[in-house]
Amino acid sequence: MKNILLLEDLPEIRTWLKALVMQVFPSAQIVECARVHDALAQVSAQKFDLALIDLGLPDGSGVDVVSALRESQPDAQSVIVTIHDDDDHLFPALQAGAYGYILKEQSRELITEQLQRISQGEPPLSPSIARKVIAYFAAQAKPQANALPHVQLTERESEVLLRVAKGFTLPEIGVQLGLSRHTIADYVKQIYRKLNVSSRAEAALEAQRLGLFGRGR
Amino acid sequence: MRHRRRAPPLGAWWAAVIALLLGWGSGAGAQTLVFTQAQAVAADTEYFPDLPQVRTLELPDDWAASRPDQTGPVWYRVTFDAEALRASGELLALYIERACSAVAIRLNGKLVHLSGRLTEPVSRNCQRPQLVSLPIAWMQPRNNQLDLKLMGYPLRQVASRQRAGGLSAIELGPHAALASKHNWRTLVSIRLPEVISGSLLLVGCLIFAMGWLNRSHSFLAYYGALLVGWALVLSRQWMADMPWPNASSEFLLAILASFVTLAAVQFLLHYGGERRRWVDIGLPAQCVVMPLTLMVAGAQHLHAMATFWYVVLAVEVGAAALLHLRKLWRVRRTQFWPMVTLAALMALAALVEFSAQQIGVDLRIVAAAQIVPPLLFMALGMRMVQQYGRQLQDAEQDRAELERRVHEASTQIERNFAQLADLKVEQVTQQERKRIAADLHDDLGAKLLTIVHTSDNERISTLAREALEEMRLSVRGLTGKPVPLLNALGDWRAEFVLRLSQAGVDGSWHAPADDDVPQLLSARAFVQTTRVLREAVSNIIKHSGASRCTVRCTIAEGDFQVVIQDNGKGIPLELDGRLDRGHGMASMKHRAKQLQGQCLVESGPGYGTVIRLTIPLDRHLASA
Repeated sequence: MKNILLLEDLPEIRTWLKALVMQVFPSAQIVECARVHDALAQVSAQKFDLALIDLGLPDGSGVDVVSALRESQPDAQSVIVTIHDDDDHLFPALQAGAYGYILKEQSRELITEQLQRISQGEPPLSPSIARKVIAYFAAQAKPQANALPHVQLTERESEVLLRVAKGFTLPEIGVQLGLSRHTIADYVKQIYRKLNVSSRAEAALEAQRLGLFGRGR
Repeated sequence: MRHRRRAPPLGAWWAAVIALLLGWGSGAGAQTLVFTQAQAVAADTEYFPDLPQVRTLELPDDWAASRPDQTGPVWYRVTFDAEALRASGELLALYIERACSAVAIRLNGKLVHLSGRLTEPVSRNCQRPQLVSLPIAWMQPRNNQLDLKLMGYPLRQVASRQRAGGLSAIELGPHAALASKHNWRTLVSIRLPEVISGSLLLVGCLIFAMGWLNRSHSFLAYYGALLVGWALVLSRQWMADMPWPNASSEFLLAILASFVTLAAVQFLLHYGGERRRWVDIGLPAQCVVMPLTLMVAGAQHLHAMATFWYVVLAVEVGAAALLHLRKLWRVRRTQFWPMVTLAALMALAALVEFSAQQIGVDLRIVAAAQIVPPLLFMALGMRMVQQYGRQLQDAEQDRAELERRVHEASTQIERNFAQLADLKVEQVTQQERKRIAADLHDDLGAKLLTIVHTSDNERISTLAREALEEMRLSVRGLTGKPVPLLNALGDWRAEFVLRLSQAGVDGSWHAPADDDVPQLLSARAFVQTTRVLREAVSNIIKHSGASRCTVRCTIAEGDFQVVIQDNGKGIPLELDGRLDRGHGMASMKHRAKQLQGQCLVESGPGYGTVIRLTIPLDRHLASA
């Protein structure tokens, strides 16, 4: 981990987070921002490996930064760091391409552990988010008037999601399915990726329908 | 449920009537004298005149044939010997089947009977048979003279041949035998027409009213008018004394036919839905033209002119009937044959009547033919009343059905409206709650978060973190929709396992199978149960020193129960025997109570702790 973007408007929390990140990734370069505008400028200026992004910011939502990052730097990992734990805030961020999320009020130790896991390739996934993802793909599977490009979950991915929804942890699911925790983590990553691909296809289709590309209808 | 009631077998009834009509002559006694010859002379005198013109002629004497121009009165004389009759000792009577239009009878010069007024307005008793008791005391053994002064009118002055002057054969005999004959004749010629007139009038008025009130059934009004008109036509049979001269009566009867025709034709056309504009104008015009022509022709040519008009009117009705039948054949085949039968019978009756007018037919056949139309009218009228009633019933049912549908629709609309209003309120409330939640997060949340991560004091940062969690749960309680219990179990399990594993405690979680938890949990119940669970897990991690913890969730008899058991050192008792308040037991119990449930804690030093939380499910299903 070399370059890390830190987007957070509260100075105290930013300072605290920075200290925490430096502890986990001692050799990293940390770029701090307090506004969406600044963050977008930074994203277009340099490459990042990891971005910790707050959602509610004075000049907009961190979701825009997630989208921009996903667009220009697909290899960068966006992680939402937020006070909101409800699906209404988290799900759009995940759809935009976020790789996971961390709740701010958790203890230092817990956040440290989550960051380490993320850097090792094990994205976080809560039961309620898993249920949302299931419902989202179930709705997509229905035949629709505007045929979306088919982005569907595999049976295994659905299986993993169902178990997460019931409250099982990823290691537990690995044991249940006779797979390693890394394989399960790969499934979760794949699920996040599909969520983003699907939502982008949806957006593109919507834009085409509205004639934004000048060749609709 | 509708039954088509079968009409009584009309054929048998008709047969009985015809048999009665034809068979009435058979009851006459053996001693009856029948006079088929009489001396006759035309003179308007008090007594039988002694004139040279007296001639002997045959009875019955039909003026239309014997004296076409005679206006009466005419004297008739028959002579008889009374010895044999007197010997029988019975009451004697004279029976005259037809004395048209009025007659005065003298026995040996003494007046014994007067059938009506002989001067204008002359009584109209052409159809009424006369039965006269003859006092034996006034009879001589031989050469009794019976003088009849008959007042009548020539054929050309009356509209119908039946009302042209004339005298039937005269019968003299025992009163009892002749009375039965007389009764029969009266019944057929007077009483039956009377009854039928009355019935037609009643039914006609009823049907007319029905058609008048319901314009879509205007044919009923015409039919009613037809029946009333026919009732008036029939009145000629039995109405004897009019306050106006005979000529006026004949005139009125003749023009009545044009009105009856109007009603009949219009009925047939309207009934078949074949309305014609020119008919609507032509028929009333005809009702005006006909009396005019009759007046122009004058009383002396009434019969000729009326006959002409009768033919015209009959042709009109016949044409209308054919049109109607053609329509029936095309549209309603099932009704065609009954109507054809009806029309044929009517045509037959008309034919008999017409023949009677022109050549003179047996009176009995004519009488029978005259009864046929009114009876057919009555039958058809009843059929129409029945149809009308059925339509009324159907309409009533339709109306009830319609009312029911309208009621349903309006209920539906009201319900939808109420739902819509509720939805609107819900939406606005949701928006407002979201706004409050966002404000709380941005403001209070940010401040608490700062305390969490900047305070050096572990206790204060823990308190702030808990306060933040509390705030979030409160906000979720405000904004949350009901949570499926299955989802809640998943969330609880994830948190439970994660926290215990971080604390190095061996946790095991038992919950019912997916299919057994279809219930919903209100947002409030979810929040409170989450808090209780969280508190319990915190206690285990912080205070119990347990190495193992088991949670069992069960659903039984509408209750949701969570049992949290650990193998720690238990909660120490206070001096007063209560459990340690510092472990948050009181708040757990308080939360359970808010949900109308209970939270029981069993613990003892060294025995571990068991917490049983029980929440009634039905009260927290959907109500938030």
